[in-house]
Amino acid sequence: MSAVLDVVLSSAFLAAVLRVSTPYLLAAFGGLVAERAGVSNIALEGQMLSAACTGALVAGYSGSVALGALCGVGVATLLGLLLAALRLELGADVIIAGIGLNLLASGGTAYAVFTLLDDKGGTSGLKSGSLPAVPLPGIDSIPLLGDVISGQNMVTWLAFLTAPVIAWLFYRARFGFHLRAVGEMPDAAASVGIPVRRVQYTGLALSGALAGLAGVFLSMGYVSFFVRDMTAGRGFIALAAVFLGGLRPWGVFLAALGFGAAEALAVQLGTLDVPPQLVSTIPYAMTLVALAVYAWRRRRQAGVEVAASV
Amino acid sequence: MRSVKGTALVIASMVALAACGSSGGDGEKSGAQSSGKPRIKLVINGGLGDKSFFDSAYAGLKKAQKDLGYELKVVELGSDRTKWEPGFEDAAAADDYDILAAGTFDVTDYIGKLAPEYPDKKFWVFDAPVDYTGKNGTCSNKCENVYSVTFKQNEAGYLAGFLAEELVAAKSLKGTENLSKVGVIGGVKIPVIDDFIVGFKAGFKDAGGKKSDVLVQYVGGDKPFGDPAKGKEISTAMYGQGAALVWPVAGLSGLGTFESAVAEKRYTFGVDSDQYQTLADDAQKNTVVTSILKNVGNALYKAAQEDQSDALKYGAVDSVGLKDDAVGYVADDHFEELVPEKIRTALEKAADEVKSGSVTVPSAF
Repeated sequence: MSAVLDVVLSSAFLAAVLRVSTPYLLAAFGGLVAERAGVSNIALEGQMLSAACTGALVAGYSGSVALGALCGVGVATLLGLLLAALRLELGADVIIAGIGLNLLASGGTAYAVFTLLDDKGGTSGLKSGSLPAVPLPGIDSIPLLGDVISGQNMVTWLAFLTAPVIAWLFYRARFGFHLRAVGEMPDAAASVGIPVRRVQYTGLALSGALAGLAGVFLSMGYVSFFVRDMTAGRGFIALAAVFLGGLRPWGVFLAALGFGAAEALAVQLGTLDVPPQLVSTIPYAMTLVALAVYAWRRRRQAGVEVAASV
Repeated sequence: MRSVKGTALVIASMVALAACGSSGGDGEKSGAQSSGKPRIKLVINGGLGDKSFFDSAYAGLKKAQKDLGYELKVVELGSDRTKWEPGFEDAAAADDYDILAAGTFDVTDYIGKLAPEYPDKKFWVFDAPVDYTGKNGTCSNKCENVYSVTFKQNEAGYLAGFLAEELVAAKSLKGTENLSKVGVIGGVKIPVIDDFIVGFKAGFKDAGGKKSDVLVQYVGGDKPFGDPAKGKEISTAMYGQGAALVWPVAGLSGLGTFESAVAEKRYTFGVDSDQYQTLADDAQKNTVVTSILKNVGNALYKAAQEDQSDALKYGAVDSVGLKDDAVGYVADDHFEELVPEKIRTALEKAADEVKSGSVTVPSAF
């Protein structure tokens, strides 16, 4: 038990939590924005994957990491807009369109990599570099804290800064009010003159961009190459965090951070003498517990409201 | 109505595009059919580009095509398991092959069912045996037209473990002088992977190490052999816990280990193919002490050779190991640079002992 405690209190573990949480946070905020705009973004996974692939390829060929990251985020933004167009213009079922986009991304990225590099596995043969880490002079000499936060990738910083920005956007900015109104009841929003479609398009573009940043982090921060289907279900875990967080920015933030912490814990505990099957259930078991707590709280709240209305 | 049409359109175009990407590349020059050359069809339950297992099989058969005059055709079924069984049925039903080659434990049931249906065709199964007893619903003809070959990866793992402990004990890896631990990362907990790991632990112990100094972890999750981010995270954790070197046995997930080794200034072993050769980055290359080979391609090439002289034994399992050069380790200049001569000699001696049978390596099977 003390070995477990040592692990949890180590700076290596805390630094890992920040790293592992980064793609979850960004993708989950992406999912949150779309959900609040009234269009479920099931395609987070595909948008991440496309961005990861585009980023590594463009950076590899152009030699510019910044350009690669920009193009990666750009492609994911376009996929967000495409999803919006399929839903709003063609009236496609948003879940099925999302699944379609995921299939497209999985097949399309593999196809692109094979066409360009003649490699069916990924871009590891192409030197593409990664986005810079941010050392914090001064802070890095503080024990524990320095080891945890100094030297994290810039995207990790962006991911954590996204939380207050999204919270501000939702509850303080005009666009956020419009977005939530549109998601809640589009007809009512339209009746008071809110441009429903434009708001939804913008929301889905923002959603795609955030998922794209998560994807870029995978192929240009976490590691420095793209591998076929390397998102490995992270987009869907992020989607779970959106609902687990009760569709509220700080709730989603905590849920995504929780998933990251559970995975980091599984990684750190894995080398101890604990059965691997048990360790790998940690994130999933945590999800179940969190969902149960969430449901219980909802029911209690509902009970209070019923009691109040009586 | 509008929504149905839109949805249908979306699905149709997506599925079409996705199909291009996931199962493209069907034709490896099927060529003229009447040339009389024996035709091999390699059916892959996954995809090429894994930098190890299937790529090695493909390379071996490609060599057979070049040197021995076979015709070669490759079919990739992708990673979606539901497509495997119909994929194998289609592949076997087409009359465009003489030998159907497939690998991994997952295909044994499919081949066991198909082989009796096509008694005129030959089947090669690598890395797992079909059920020759015919008692469990497959192999109703006792699979007399199936050749299976399995690998003693535990013997290769043994040498890896032996070498790892020797290096750690002699403090010969620069920058890791005060570390005594080593790590092994498996893709997922299955017998083929554990066979490597069981062997590694045995070798580590025989060289004088403590079993508790071997850190073992599995990638698991959605893509155990294709999640380099998680592979890197696990490697970083292992190095953080004092591992001097980490050996990933996890396909593409292992690529994360080499990046982590560069960042932490530690060492790695490669797996399956010579990763000192396949890595693009010089800093990453230099972390690779040696690669532990499981030479699927060699075994298939040998099968192709023997089949030409009718010496290949159908209806039986061939188990190949160190003695047959089917598994081993890379001893190149870089290896000699990092590993002192004394240890190299000891390693060769250990290899000889395994070959001669005076040391029996435990197995996960």
